[in-house]
Amino acid sequence: MNILKIIQIVFFIFLGLLISSVFFILFKLSPLSGLGTLLYEGFGTENGWYNTLRMTIPLLIISVGLSVPFTAKFWNIGAQGQFIIGEIFATWIGLTFAHIVPPLLDIALAMVVGFVGGALWAMPPTIMKLYSGANEIITTLMMNFVAVYLLLWIVSGPLEGAQAKLVGAPTSAPIPAMDMLPLIPGTQISSGFLISLIIAIVFFFLLRYTKFGYELKLIGEGQNVASYSGINIKRQIILSMIISGGISGVAGMVYVYGITSTLIPQFFSDVSTSFGYVGIPVALMASLNPLGIIFTSIFLGGILNGAFVMEAIYSVPIDLVITIYGLIMIFSLIGIMFDLSKILRRKKIK
Amino acid sequence: MNESLILLLIETILIGMVPRAMPIFSAALGETVDQSAGILNLGVEGMMLMGAITGLLVDYYYHNIVFAFLAAGAVGILFGAIHGVLVITMKLDQTVIGTALWFVGWGLSGVIYAAIFGISSAPPTVQTLGHIYIPYLSSIPFFGRFIFGEDPLVYILIVTLIVVDYFLFHTKQGLNLRTVGQDPRVAEIMGVNPYLYRYAAVIFGGLMAGIGGAYLSLAIVGSFYFDLTAGMGFIAVALVYFGKWKPWRVFAGTLIFGAVYVFYFMMENIYPKIPYEFYQMLPYVVTLIMILIIGTKARAPASLALPYVKGE
Repeated sequence: MNILKIIQIVFFIFLGLLISSVFFILFKLSPLSGLGTLLYEGFGTENGWYNTLRMTIPLLIISVGLSVPFTAKFWNIGAQGQFIIGEIFATWIGLTFAHIVPPLLDIALAMVVGFVGGALWAMPPTIMKLYSGANEIITTLMMNFVAVYLLLWIVSGPLEGAQAKLVGAPTSAPIPAMDMLPLIPGTQISSGFLISLIIAIVFFFLLRYTKFGYELKLIGEGQNVASYSGINIKRQIILSMIISGGISGVAGMVYVYGITSTLIPQFFSDVSTSFGYVGIPVALMASLNPLGIIFTSIFLGGILNGAFVMEAIYSVPIDLVITIYGLIMIFSLIGIMFDLSKILRRKKIK
Repeated sequence: MNESLILLLIETILIGMVPRAMPIFSAALGETVDQSAGILNLGVEGMMLMGAITGLLVDYYYHNIVFAFLAAGAVGILFGAIHGVLVITMKLDQTVIGTALWFVGWGLSGVIYAAIFGISSAPPTVQTLGHIYIPYLSSIPFFGRFIFGEDPLVYILIVTLIVVDYFLFHTKQGLNLRTVGQDPRVAEIMGVNPYLYRYAAVIFGGLMAGIGGAYLSLAIVGSFYFDLTAGMGFIAVALVYFGKWKPWRVFAGTLIFGAVYVFYFMMENIYPKIPYEFYQMLPYVVTLIMILIIGTKARAPASLALPYVKGE
């Protein structure tokens, strides 16, 4: 991708941001100062950066996972559900094996089980799409709702912690501190950030330099082309969804072990933990390039963090973020499609 | 359980299911026309939410339910038109744009709500839409209330259903619309303008989604809260597949959903041993099962979700 194209996409993304800043008027803020505050709270202070990176960790892992099926134009909207199931599985492992096995083994086990949980949750929609043509957007989304209610039941039933019963706010018992992912020395950033960077780099090579990545790209360009060239479409799609769902599950594990330490309830309308949905614009903005996703996830993670602060200070609801994401999706798509050189050429011909 | 209790349960479900089905049905009817013209509208959920908040605001401040529904419909049309510009004229990916419009509507409805009523205040309430009780007929035991005692919009929507069904399958324009959905090139050769039909379809789809959302906030809940629709827009899209693009089948599917909602509200009280989260899962699980039942590939309009590029 050439540099002109990247500048062009960035330009359109900022256009989307500018347009969404109009809504600050509703809260008696001028659009530009509202946007300025949002970005300042996300990226302007040391503390802001720590919180931004905390948001970035699950976001980066999920978005990188999403880039795999998206490359084959298989639209997995279910990352949120896969993330939640990963959280549940990993927390269960943590609470069960915490004092029995050494911490490192516990973390590794939780990660594997989180992967399995997310991958399992991604399978029904995939199989329904491949064998009966059911629209994957609807089925993956329905799986999200089921996961949300499963989580609400689990934190107030099977995995409810003793302290939660006292307070009356349902959460699980905390994972023991020694089993948590350590902080990067000298900072307040969880080493989950390093894990997410490693995942992004591995996936860059997976999509760019392997036969698997190449075949997914062909499938994305058109099922006919792919089947003429002898690709086993079903197998590759299932594999891509195992990877995507599994990685979302790992994101859930890293979120619990690196950030929250307990399983907390998440409602569907809760924008602040909707990393699975935010991951969609993050992946699309970067044109599904995992290295690009590192930057776009920090960018949208910062906006999410800024919106948190703005809800607290200016009573601007965090829902504004979802509008911003929607507009950014539209505008980055226009930016990708918009071909400056083509338009210039057409003018010359005329 | 004795016989009269079972009859009472069935009557409760019959009476409750029609209003509960209507928000989904209104959106699904719009989506049927959308998809028949080859446009996959995944932004229904967002459009419904925008309709819901608009309808509530107008009714809350002007106390005029007719204006409230008209305003909700207008906002739906606006969203439909934007959708049209993006996917018909600019030919952007319908899946991504649909998801994006859902995000915009989801967030914006919450933002508007918070800007007017504040983040943590008690939700505003309005009086829900009144019912029409047709004299004598509505007092027929068992079926009376269910058929002759609904609110006016139910009857309007059923008339719309008949009109849409007649339009799609018994008029020349309806045939043209379906041809555009099957193959826009053929339509063009027949002298039909595919862009015109597709724009008409997305605008109708937006209108019906807006009305459906307003029905939810004005006739059922009487209020608004964040993410009021909770996936109903997507259930509507699923029901279009279930109904195989036939309005009457879609209507039958939405009635099943109405029954599911009433059933789980009832069972929560009758049989509370099962955690209520499992009852709340029910509509989504039923959607998945219904999609599964359709089984063999439902025959979608051949050009569904494909942009039409002239001369290609």
